[in-house]
Amino acid sequence: MRDVYIVGAGQSAYGAFPDESYRSLFAGAFEEAMASAGGVEAADIDEAVVGSLGVGGRQLGLSGPAVTEHIGLHGVPCSRIENACAASGYAVRQAVQAVKSGMADVVLAGGYEVMTDMSGDVGKYWLGVSGETEWERLTGTTFAGVYAQMASAYVDAYDASPDHFSKVAVKNHANGAKNPKAHLGFECSLDDARNAPVVADPLNLYHCCPTSDGAAAVLVASEDVASACDDAVRVAGVGAASDHVGLFQRDSYTTIESSERAATAAYEMAGLGPDDVDFAEVHDCFAIAELLAYEDLGFCERGHAPELVDSGATELGGDLPVNPSGGLKSKGHPIGATGAGQVVEAFKQLTGRAGDRQVAGANVGLTHNVGGSGGAAVVHVLEGGAL
Amino acid sequence: MSADAPTQTTLGVAGVGAYVPRLYLPASAYREAWGKGGAPGVERVAVADADEDTLTMATEAGRRALRAAGVDAGDIDHLALATTTPPNDEEECAVRLASLLGVDPSVPTRQFGGSTRAGAVALAATSEATQNVGDGASSPRLVVVADSPRGAPESDEAAGAGAGAAALVIAEDGPLAIDAVGEFGDPAPGTRFRRYGSAETESIGVTQYERDAYTRAVAGAVEALGIDTTELNPDAVALTAPDGKLPYRAAGALGVEPARIAAGTVVSRTGDTGVAGPFLGLAAALDSESDTAGDASSGESPASSVLLVGYGGGAGATALALGTEATDADSAASSVVPVEAVLGGDVELSYAEALRRRGTITGGEPAGGGAYVSVPTWKRTIPQRHRLVAGACKECEALAFPPEGACADCGSLAGYDDVTLPGTGTVEAATAIGQGGAPPEFVEQQQRAGSFPVAVVAFDGPGGEGGEADDRTVSAPAQVVHSPAGTPAIGDRVEAVTRRIYEQEGVVRYGFKVVPTAARR
Repeated sequence: MRDVYIVGAGQSAYGAFPDESYRSLFAGAFEEAMASAGGVEAADIDEAVVGSLGVGGRQLGLSGPAVTEHIGLHGVPCSRIENACAASGYAVRQAVQAVKSGMADVVLAGGYEVMTDMSGDVGKYWLGVSGETEWERLTGTTFAGVYAQMASAYVDAYDASPDHFSKVAVKNHANGAKNPKAHLGFECSLDDARNAPVVADPLNLYHCCPTSDGAAAVLVASEDVASACDDAVRVAGVGAASDHVGLFQRDSYTTIESSERAATAAYEMAGLGPDDVDFAEVHDCFAIAELLAYEDLGFCERGHAPELVDSGATELGGDLPVNPSGGLKSKGHPIGATGAGQVVEAFKQLTGRAGDRQVAGANVGLTHNVGGSGGAAVVHVLEGGAL
Repeated sequence: MSADAPTQTTLGVAGVGAYVPRLYLPASAYREAWGKGGAPGVERVAVADADEDTLTMATEAGRRALRAAGVDAGDIDHLALATTTPPNDEEECAVRLASLLGVDPSVPTRQFGGSTRAGAVALAATSEATQNVGDGASSPRLVVVADSPRGAPESDEAAGAGAGAAALVIAEDGPLAIDAVGEFGDPAPGTRFRRYGSAETESIGVTQYERDAYTRAVAGAVEALGIDTTELNPDAVALTAPDGKLPYRAAGALGVEPARIAAGTVVSRTGDTGVAGPFLGLAAALDSESDTAGDASSGESPASSVLLVGYGGGAGATALALGTEATDADSAASSVVPVEAVLGGDVELSYAEALRRRGTITGGEPAGGGAYVSVPTWKRTIPQRHRLVAGACKECEALAFPPEGACADCGSLAGYDDVTLPGTGTVEAATAIGQGGAPPEFVEQQQRAGSFPVAVVAFDGPGGEGGEADDRTVSAPAQVVHSPAGTPAIGDRVEAVTRRIYEQEGVVRYGFKVVPTAARR
């Protein structure tokens, strides 16, 4: 099958925008994506695949055509993918499959979510809908509680402490402070992160990402199209996997098996391994999730993520910067937009457009997007300078 | 008596269980809040937790009675439930109780209510029931009584309102025989009543009229036993106790010493427990443990004869004479009937906390709505929610909970054989959900009771903890109740208890939570 490239990518700012709708946010992301893609016109787009959890229930059905219609892609087939927080990571994967198969030459992949314009209770309702409902949620947990349970098991199993969660927060805020699109684009000190109010023991507020409004858009194209573009990033590998939706149904609470399987598949397709990765955008919805990602993606051995974060290797100037965008923690987490937004950051990094947070010499980037507490995961390995 | 002769058996109490919530409000807190005295003779009132109600308390008392008697729920042939405060005014509460306890669906269930006399009525009716009972086997019957009365916040009824439940296993040749039943009724309107549609018990407050109605009904029922009280000479008298003074006003009319009433009265430590009052008194009288002793000073010998009288406002009473053939010497050291009961609370509440727990000052279901698990969906999981029925994979025998879908171990779709878990387990992962962190359907619970721990528990398989022949476990998530240390530690042992999970569309969903074994009483 033919090679597939990202030829343009853009995102809205992430944050709380009472004056914006999910459609206007997506329009902003699309505009930036088109502007970044010298050589592709809107009329070239054959298909659209978008991810969203449900934009607060206001357009549960057909929100996909509602956004493509809004951005002038009237008539273009559009399908919406729902895979919780991994929705638009899967949308990108779907676009890659469409182009690889030859059914399409240019596919718009993206995602959108509006999460801050509803009352607190409604927001909490939506935050919990992707957990295992009948048993897990009905113990009174949302995802903070489930990830906190994973954190408790991790701290019990390995030489880790809540300080390691705080260090992840400090690192990601330091990166996000350099990202003008970040929702919480400010630095925080280790003491700030240590002393935040507890959300779900052992996780405190700084160990949890915010809920955000935002949208992201990625243009996925065939080699023929890409060769005529200003910039192109090769999709070297794609991997995806599912797992039991409820934590209690899994064999291990200290790994996210779907992440591990997705990464293995993506590395194999790319012919690359974790050592080849120059930077990664990982799904740090909670600080424990970033530590688990280090291990699930093969950046270190099981139980060694605390050492890795202690070493500074995953900071912006380190050997393997993780979440240079600020990650979900600082850049923000508009559920349906998050996975595509990670690809937007990778595109910027691999095309030298990442500004103050540019990873020097970035050639291979990895994006890692998780749905729920690991019920779905998708990994992309992206390669710059290939054309 | 020859083996061939028809045997004349007597029904008697074979086991007693009692449950009083661990939360309590001292009378001093009520006095401080209102600037007036509380209920006469009541030192503290038991307060049901936010996720407890009469059905959860009844379940706990029922399980304790079955354990005390050494009887399997599956062998129970007749189930009676009495309460004036069921979770819903109209609905088969006793049927849910049967399911929670594991009583067979074909067993007759009888539900009694309408006045606080109903507990004694349930016991009398059980002792008289013949239909479907007594097929020659031991045919044990279960009587469960539970109440959690309310009053208008400023009323004497509210000041004295407690909560509690008790249960008796009644069996042929149970050691504490039901010797006689007496009944009496005489209209005395306004003495204790609850209006249609109201949750608050009230009375018109004509003191002497109410005392006379009580004394007349109680004495009348005892007289109707047809046994002279000097001959009866009960070690303890267990009466319905709306407050801590009224029972003693019957002493003269009954011809018993106040000390005998004290031996069968616990109202000073539990508050008004409605139908459960005389039964908690019975449990106290039969148990020699100091913790469960009645209002009498502790350390008394367990009673071998008890006069139990249920009184209902309006007014009527049912009296039961309970006695044993055992001599005083036999019973001096140990209880004539096995009892499992803890009657004293151990978590003191402020007045505001008590109002929160009762839901008096909390807001109900939030506007955002909750997770929608349809009632039919819930109904399909009742064996799991009520009795921890797991499945053993027909292919690989690994345990699954809930037992549905492909086997998580071998992937087989062959299905599962039912396996009832014993309810003990080990914490594998745990957190505590702070206020504001719970999904909307748990907001009301948090308003009432604050943050709650949640754990993933590896439940022991049918072999029990580390069973040598069978060490299978199966994991399930559960809220943790009564965890004094907050979030339980990984590796802590826990046990399942029945609680309210949440309420939606007016339907209370009951299921299991866990309590740390170290904190269990």
